Amino acid sequence: MLKTLLDAFALISTWEVIIAMIAASVYGLVIGSLPGLSATMATALLVPVTFYLSPIAAIATIVAASSMAIFSGDIPGALLRIPGTPASAAYADEAYAMTRKGQAELALGAGVWFSAVGGIAGVLSLMILAPPLAEIALSFSTFEYFWLALLGLMCATLVARSSPVKAIAGMFIGLLVACIGIENPGGVPRFTFGLTDLFGGIEPIPALVGVFAVAQVMRAMLTPEPPPLPRRKFGSIMAGQWKLTKLYRWQMTRGNIVGIIIGVLPGAGADMAAWVSYAMSKRFSKEPEKFGTGHVEGLVEAGASNNASIASGWVPSLLFGIPGDTIAAIAIGVLYMKGLNPGPTLFTEKASSMYAIYLMFIIANILMIPLGIAMIRVATYILLAPRSAIMPIIMLCCAVGSFAIGNNMFGVVTVAAFGVIGYVMEANGYPVAAMVLGIVMGTMVEQAFVTSLIKSDGSILPFFERPVAAILAAMAIGALLWPVMVWVWRKVKQPQTAAATSR
Amino acid sequence: MRLPDSVTGSFLVVLGAAAAYGGWILPPVPGQPVGPNVFPLVIGCGLALCGLAIVFGVGRSFEEEEELIPFEDGQAAAPPPQSKLYGMRALLPPALLLFYVAAADRLGFIVTAAIMVYVTSTALGAKWKLALPLAVLSPFAIHLIFGKLLRVPLPAGLLPAPW
Repeated sequence: MLKTLLDAFALISTWEVIIAMIAASVYGLVIGSLPGLSATMATALLVPVTFYLSPIAAIATIVAASSMAIFSGDIPGALLRIPGTPASAAYADEAYAMTRKGQAELALGAGVWFSAVGGIAGVLSLMILAPPLAEIALSFSTFEYFWLALLGLMCATLVARSSPVKAIAGMFIGLLVACIGIENPGGVPRFTFGLTDLFGGIEPIPALVGVFAVAQVMRAMLTPEPPPLPRRKFGSIMAGQWKLTKLYRWQMTRGNIVGIIIGVLPGAGADMAAWVSYAMSKRFSKEPEKFGTGHVEGLVEAGASNNASIASGWVPSLLFGIPGDTIAAIAIGVLYMKGLNPGPTLFTEKASSMYAIYLMFIIANILMIPLGIAMIRVATYILLAPRSAIMPIIMLCCAVGSFAIGNNMFGVVTVAAFGVIGYVMEANGYPVAAMVLGIVMGTMVEQAFVTSLIKSDGSILPFFERPVAAILAAMAIGALLWPVMVWVWRKVKQPQTAAATSR
Repeated sequence: MRLPDSVTGSFLVVLGAAAAYGGWILPPVPGQPVGPNVFPLVIGCGLALCGLAIVFGVGRSFEEEEELIPFEDGQAAAPPPQSKLYGMRALLPPALLLFYVAAADRLGFIVTAAIMVYVTSTALGAKWKLALPLAVLSPFAIHLIFGKLLRVPLPAGLLPAPW
């Protein structure tokens, strides 16, 4: 154990890792703070760069950039009322109200401090949860994997803030995309339409870049430019944070725990964690009437929550290859590329790499405090950059990055196509996260499904025979039926309210 | 680009049916009951069912209308002109990417990238004073990072990079 830890230290204390981490931190802070550029997009655009780094440095960049971007999204949320990333949307109003009350320092300081605390809580959960889960996962057969993957996909559709039917449709579209290519049980070209470029299937990474980056540029074409940031001088940013920590320690802990749980659930990421935690904070607060008027309590809880979900999102990713959120979905792609194939054996065979990941998460969250403070101070200047200067660069990065993934032009075509698909889906209320999970998990779901069917000789019964498989199956089916139950519940309740309001 | 649910739903029904049919006609693995055809068949059917449900408006009550944060203090942004052509602007980014695919090998990275940057920047409302220097400088910066540092073989074309 101690030797592994020392090995892990040796792995991360190279110049390459250190430089990669600091550069990625700055990059994450800048991208996260620019409205319209999300943490997922920051991570997706980073992938081509990770090709040319060593495995540990590659993961370091993703860990650092994603953690920083989630915090950094708070900055324009507090100063402009425009969340920099979707994860900050839940409490942007609250933070802006604080700024108007002259408490911008307190709001932003709470953002940095509780993000860092939340991030570290998330890492602890990863360290504690992953090894015992890996033990259990070693005894999983394809039946369990099939249900687990299905449960993951179902969770993704459940948490989408949209119609569950559309979310499930989005998931099917993703799975259908994953069907393309010759990597299937029969090894026959499937849905390739005779194009040799499609034989290898659709690479998940260009698809993700398209959905998250190109679609965003497309939306920018139709939305008005955000207003410029009023210039302001900041006082001490960390002042009073320790007092807040003591005052709101329960809220903070609850935020951490909720964030961890939501992070572990596949498909639900930082934005969901922030929404749920903010709502919980309001629900259980002693002074709920203060919410919305610039009250720091909700900020504490939601800030602690969204960063906790980032690290815990890696739990299912590392163990089963099932992404905990869209950022982890990208991370999985990088892990495969770097020979760190997700699975329970990762924790025994590559234990030092796992420890290195934990350590990097901890370092990134500590680094967040000084870098975050510096970022808050220079944010006024960075937010001066007009959108018409940033979006063209994003476009170039999309083109070059997707080309670099396979050194062929088909990657660029994929990016363009998925930009359109993502844009149209988003505009019509189809959650893209569900499709993304479908694309990333498609091959795995199919393999588990078909292998299970072959083992069971075409019978459905063995899918439910093993105890763990039965439990997972019950949960997956429950997740599928949940919206139906909610709908029935509403129908039962509606006649009464309808009679009362007589609309 | 907000289409009625009946349109997107019908499209999904067609897509699902096509996928199911496409899976159906795939050759099975000899001597094996399940092959590459099963999965697309299942997904296609599921997709078609979802499409039908969407056409009939199932689950619409769960959708949340997108909340637009109103600007305060009279800094209300000018309402975007609502013409047909305006909506087409959204297609500019993917079109430019396809232009890159078509032209990069002949024109080279620097020239193609400069055109892309200039067009995108102008479309987003930049004056030529910003767009022109950006279009001249940013391709070199990107080439320096990706072409020189990361050794991505970017096409040289008409104007090879100076390094």
